[in-house]
This record gives sequence, C-alpha cells and structure tokens, in this order.
Amino acid sequence: MAKFEVLAKCHTTRARVSRLTLSHGITPLPTFMPVATQAAIKGLTAQQMESLGVTLILNNTYHLNLRPGVQILGEAGGAHKFQGWHKNLLTDSGGFQLVSLSKFTKITEQGALFESPFTGEPTMLTPEESMSIQHAIGGDIIMQLDDVVSSMTPDRARVEEAMERSVRWLDRCITYHNNSGKQTTQNLFAIVQGGLDSELRDRCLTQMIERKNDVAGFAIGGLSGGEEKDVFWRIVKQCAERLPDDRPRYCMGIGFAEDLLVCVALGVDMADCVFPTRTARFGVALTHRGPVNLRLAKYAYDFEPIDPDCPCPTCSAGTSRAMLYHVITRETAAAHAVTMHNIVFQARVMGGARDAILNGTFPDYLRTFFANYFADFGYPQWCVNALRSVGVDLLEGDSKIKVNKGTGAKWE
Amino acid sequence: MLSFTLAAPCARRPRTGTVRLRGVIEKTPAAMATTSRGVVPHLSRDQYNRAHIPWVHIPFESFLENNPPVPTLQPGPFPLHTFLGFDPDAHILSLSLRDPADGRETPANGAQYVAASTSRGVRRVTVADWRGHVHACKPDIVVAMPDIPWTNPPFSQKRTTKSIERTVSWLAHLLAPDPPLNILVHMAGGVNERARRAFAQSLVEPLDGLEAAAVKPLKCLDDGIIGYTFDLVPLRREIDVEDADKVSALLQSSLEPLPPTKLRVVISVVSPHQILRLIRDVGIDLFDVKWAQDAANVGVSLDFVFPVPQDDSQQGRDLGHNLYRSHYAHDFASLSTAACTCNACAPVVIKNAISHSQLDAHIASAPSGYTRAYIHHLLHTHEMGAHALLVLHNLAVVDKFFDGIRAVLARGDDFTAHVAAFAAQYDESLAIVNEARTMWKEVDVARGKGRIARERD
Repeated sequence: MAKFEVLAKCHTTRARVSRLTLSHGITPLPTFMPVATQAAIKGLTAQQMESLGVTLILNNTYHLNLRPGVQILGEAGGAHKFQGWHKNLLTDSGGFQLVSLSKFTKITEQGALFESPFTGEPTMLTPEESMSIQHAIGGDIIMQLDDVVSSMTPDRARVEEAMERSVRWLDRCITYHNNSGKQTTQNLFAIVQGGLDSELRDRCLTQMIERKNDVAGFAIGGLSGGEEKDVFWRIVKQCAERLPDDRPRYCMGIGFAEDLLVCVALGVDMADCVFPTRTARFGVALTHRGPVNLRLAKYAYDFEPIDPDCPCPTCSAGTSRAMLYHVITRETAAAHAVTMHNIVFQARVMGGARDAILNGTFPDYLRTFFANYFADFGYPQWCVNALRSVGVDLLEGDSKIKVNKGTGAKWE
Repeated sequence: MLSFTLAAPCARRPRTGTVRLRGVIEKTPAAMATTSRGVVPHLSRDQYNRAHIPWVHIPFESFLENNPPVPTLQPGPFPLHTFLGFDPDAHILSLSLRDPADGRETPANGAQYVAASTSRGVRRVTVADWRGHVHACKPDIVVAMPDIPWTNPPFSQKRTTKSIERTVSWLAHLLAPDPPLNILVHMAGGVNERARRAFAQSLVEPLDGLEAAAVKPLKCLDDGIIGYTFDLVPLRREIDVEDADKVSALLQSSLEPLPPTKLRVVISVVSPHQILRLIRDVGIDLFDVKWAQDAANVGVSLDFVFPVPQDDSQQGRDLGHNLYRSHYAHDFASLSTAACTCNACAPVVIKNAISHSQLDAHIASAPSGYTRAYIHHLLHTHEMGAHALLVLHNLAVVDKFFDGIRAVLARGDDFTAHVAAFAAQYDESLAIVNEARTMWKEVDVARGKGRIARERD
C-alpha cells in the first residue's frame, strides 16, 4: 500500500505538504500530473520527463486498452516498462473517455455499454473489467470506475443515480481489487461524485469515507465540465474539508495555474490536465506573468527566452521567443520545446507551493503569484472569493486591484 | 578559418581527411544533418545535443518570411548558432540560401537575383542581400549563391551558360572584400559535362584587371573557397541519377580542372549504396543524410552496417524495419539488430533532474532502451515521439556507417570489394521505406490533424 505522510500544514489555509511513497518512488505533494494519454507525453521521451523533475504522470486506460491493448502490455511487463517510464504512474478508469469520446455509450447497473471502436460490437466496461485492465497496465495509482455525468446536467435525478451508482461500483472495484493480489503494489482511489449539488456530494462523501480502509486516496470527480467557477470551488472546498486527513486528495481535470493554487489552498494534493501540454502544441507558453502566445507577430524579433528564470531545457538553453515563433505549429520540435517548458512551469507552481507551505509563507506565495500573473489583467473574482473562504484576502491593502467576473482565465 | 586536410595528399578517391574548425574535428567521409526551418526535424535541442552529427546544414530561405530576416538581428558572436541553439564548440553550421532538397518549380532567377521560396511566397534575393545576411548571421560555412534554374527542364545552352556566368560572378561578390568566409561553391553546368568542366575551369583561371583587384590577394576564385558542392536534386530533374556511371561522370567532369585538396560535398543522395559509390568513384568527403532522417519520418528504423560482417551474409535484406508492420506490435527487441548506442536504444541516465522544492530528491532510474513494439504503438497512435526516437536512432546508424567507411579506408582494405558486398547484402531500392511511407500516410489521414472535422462530414 501507498505510504502517505503529511509533513506540514499551512497555518492559514487548508493547504498541506505531504510525501506519497508508491512502488516507483516518492512523489512530493501537492503536485501536478502531466497526461501521457497513449503512453507518451506528446513528443517527449521518458528520460526527458524525468529530467524535468516529474515523478508522477497519468496514462489513460481507455486509450491503452484500445492500443496497444492489455495483451501487449502484459507481454511488455506492464505500462512502465512498455513506455520506459520508471517513476510513478496513475491510470484513470476509462469511464470518462467512454462518455466524452463515444456517442453511443449507455450506462447500466452492470457497467458502461459502448460500441467497440474496432468491431462496432456492443462492449461492456464493468467496474471489474476496468480494474482488470488497470491491473494489466500496472499503474501505481488506479481509479475506480465511476458513473460520470457532465457537471452541467440539469437532471438532478440522473446526477443522484450516477452518484449512488458510483458508490456501488466502488464496492465492486474494492472487492475485485482486494482479491487480485495487486493491492500491495497498486493503489485504488475512490472518486467522489454528486455533480454541483452539495447535498448529493455530502451523501457521496459519507458513503465513500466509510470505505476509507479499502482505498488509498480520494478523487474529486465530475467537475471542470464548464460549470461556474464560483460553484466549482465551493464543491472542491466541501469535498476537501470532509475527506480524511490521512488520504491524498486528487482534483481531476484541473490545470490552470490559478485553479491549481486555489485547489491547493482548499486542501487538494494532486491534479491533472491536458491543458499545459495541449496548449504548448498550439504555441502558448505558460509563465508567471501569464500565458505567452508565441504565434503572435509581436514575438517575431523577441530574442528573450520564454522566461529567463525558468530552469527548463528550452529556457536554460536560451531558446528565444523569436525562434519559437519561427517554428511553432510547423516543427514538432517546437511543440516539444514548449511542452517541456509548460510542464516545468506547472511543476514550479506546485513546487513553489510546497516550499511556501513548509516555510509557513503560503498566503504570501498566493498573493505574489496573483500579483505577478493577474496584475495588468485583473484578478478573477472567484479566486478572490475562494481564497477569502480559507483566510487569504488577495485584495487586502490594495484598493486599486481590478477584479474580473466569469472564469477570469487569462489568455493571450 | 576552417581547415581541411587529406590523409594522403594526392589521394583522389576514395579518400579520408579531417575538417577542423574551432574545437570541432570532423573526420571524413562524414555525414551532415539537414534542417527544416532551422531545426533538425523532430529533435528538440537537448535531444540533438545527444546525437553525434556535428555538421548541420541550414537552408536560409524560410527566414526570408520576415524582413529583415530574424537571425540577422540576433546579438552575440555566433548569431546563427545562438538563434538556432547549436553549440559553437560542438556544431559546424553551413548555410545556403535555398533548401537544396527542394526540387519544386520556382519562378525564374534574374541577372541580379535568385527567387527563393518561403511559406509567404517567393522572395527575390540579390547577391548583395545574401552577402549582408551571411555577414550578419556568421555561419561557419556559406554556400555561395548559385544560379540553378528551377523552371521546367530541359535547359537551353544559353540558359546553362547564363547559369555558369551568374554563379561565377555571384561567387566573386562573396569573396570580396574582408572578412574572409568559408565558402563552398555549387558546381554549375547542369547535366552537360562540357559545361561543368567550363565552370570549374573558370574557378582556377588567373584573374586580372578589375576582377583581380576586387578579390586581392587571391589569384583565382578557387583560392578563396574551401570546397565544392554537388547538388543531385537539379540533376535528378533532368537525368536518372540512379544511373551511377552517369552521375559519377558528371561529378568528375567538374573536378577535373580543380585541385584535389578541397572538400567535396554531395547533397541529396538517396541511399547508403549511392554514398559508397560516390566515395569509391569520385572521392566525396561529405554527404547530407536527409534520406535517413526522412526514413525516420515515415516510421523506418534503419538497421544496416558497413562493412558487412563476413559471417552474416544475407542477400537483398532490407536496410531497416518498417515499424508500422503489424508483427512489430509484439517485438520487444531494440530498434536495430546491430548494437546501437543512440539515445533511443541506450538512453542516458538522468543524473540531474530539475528540483522544484526542498522536498524533491532525484533518484535516477536505470533507463531501458525503447522497443520496436513501443515505436509501433506510437506510430499507429500518431504520437510524434515515434519520430524523435527514430531520428535519434537513424542518425546513430548513419554515424556508425561512416565510422565503418573510414575504418575500412584507414586500414587500406579493398574498399571496392566491401562496397560490392554491401550492395549484395542490402536492398538498394529502399522498398521498405516506400512501404512505410504508404502506411504512414494511411495513419496520418486516419488520425492526423483535421481528423475530427473529416469524421463529421
């Protein structure tokens, strides 16, 4: 089983620093997990990822089950060996992609019925099958199959059904996992559902926390589907407050720096998102002063690196914005360069949070981050609200700060 | 300045030599990597630094999209190296105006300019422009601007004569005055042996009058250059360059009047077989390896050695593996049968990782080499990492191939016999690369950019 040690807590917010020891090493938390959907961070090798100081990445079960499939993964000796990645690995359950990628998925009590992309035949993904596939992949953290509904679903009865079913499926996952012999090396996480309804979330939390002894951690699922940010953070806060202290908390599908820091302040330890790697391929580099869109002509003659203080291979080699402007979206190597930078940016944001929590300076860290990132643009109102709820007032002492409604996400 | 010394001063062919520039030493015959938009395709800077091909060729024309071209404004002592991210202590950069591999039809050149092709249209570049760009970018080596007709062949004698005259005159412009450049000259004259000889002759003719004054203290144009480039793409538009004897004859007609001591570069060979013949018959010193980079581009991992081991003769085997083929899905062998030390087959241990907090303590993992099955998976899932790994591998195979060539020549073995054995061992038609290209296109259409939109239709 995983070893999870909380090392320090923020004196003001609910943020904490911890150490998660899994079969493939130690990952300090809070951390951001880059997504290697098909057993590769797009364009990068496992060694490049290791050199960036990343110790935990994510593979998608749905994709790996289609290609290369569990037989080949078995022949390879698991997904770690297959992709040459010898640090920690997390796999999702495959359920989310069934809903997001397949038009014909039907959820029944038994499992998710979908059309096989290969044969077109009706195929059933049950909780047991999801466990079995994730066992073959061999991730250090595996996720329960949950009944995913969009956070925008207006039908409360459907959200309730999905939540209750996710609890029942968790039980089936636990039973299968605990009988598999894999529970010593692979760690099962539960996923809290219940949409945007705090009463449903509470019921889900109660039931899942009762199963605490059979799970290594808890995820907060069913968010980042386009819901109001002010609703989003309240649900995260509600879940993080109730989830047990001695289990890691993983907020699924979160990737913007401000979202990460708010979630950390609310007590979240882990997050994943394709955003930083995907946006890199479209030419957007993330910096502490906000995103830099390298496709804009204003960078054509800019001989400065993306961020002169960044330790990533791209910036430390002095690669200029002008050079990246010349090659971005045209040469794969440009995507690799910006992808490495963005992964390091995410890791720096989270690493900085770890240090600040350890040093007792996390509220200042938040203020500095927002001042640098949003100063010219205006702070997102929802971030101000969320951080106020845990005792940090971003606007304190400066009446001139502009505040933006809506998502407030900064873009260039 | 660059120096090139031959191991045996009078050796015409085949021959070995040494290129020295700053601290970089390149033993010849050797390989040169090619670039697209200033990048070795699929390799980020950290990855290219782990490949062992020090000489990199840069076509300049993509930079003409902006005026002034961006690298011409790069500050520092090595603007081109700095802009593109090559280490001056490890990499030799040569610069040509146009991409020598691009054989597409282009509007006619003029008496004062070459029509260069960019993604934003054609740009006219005068010899004065070229001179300015070169002195601003400071490449290690520059290819003088040639007048190669890219209109529809065949070309009249008048056009060929014009091509020769312009190429000579534009070279003279680059020679004068200081600071001196390391200049390579395209061997003009097209597919006409007499024209080629005439062009070469004009390089060694003593200059007089104004011409001499302009390039003083040089006695002839050839005194101011370090070597010659032979571009096969323009020849390929007019003749079958697989006709080895014909190509050798054309190249030799250029070399006839010239001193044997200078560097000979061939651009756009298509196979290792062709490289071996050109070393054997013409004494070529440097080759671009775009063919090997292109093989990586379509999913082929090269797997060949020179000289062919005596205990391992198998007629007509493929030069590599088309990793799209289905049986590689279960093949966990490394990318080539021959042992390989590239960063795909034997990845470096990551001793230092970036530390993001005081808690981070890096423990280096013991890396394992990437397998055919993994690359097969990446190819079929349209993951670009496949090509990065394959380029690293193919460049290493090619590098070792040249090591083998130099070793055979240094030992004084019967080179011709080794070339014959190689030709018998490996399929020259590159059927495997063509097969891979077809499968690459299929996957690209099925999973590449714009797939979602296509599926909606």
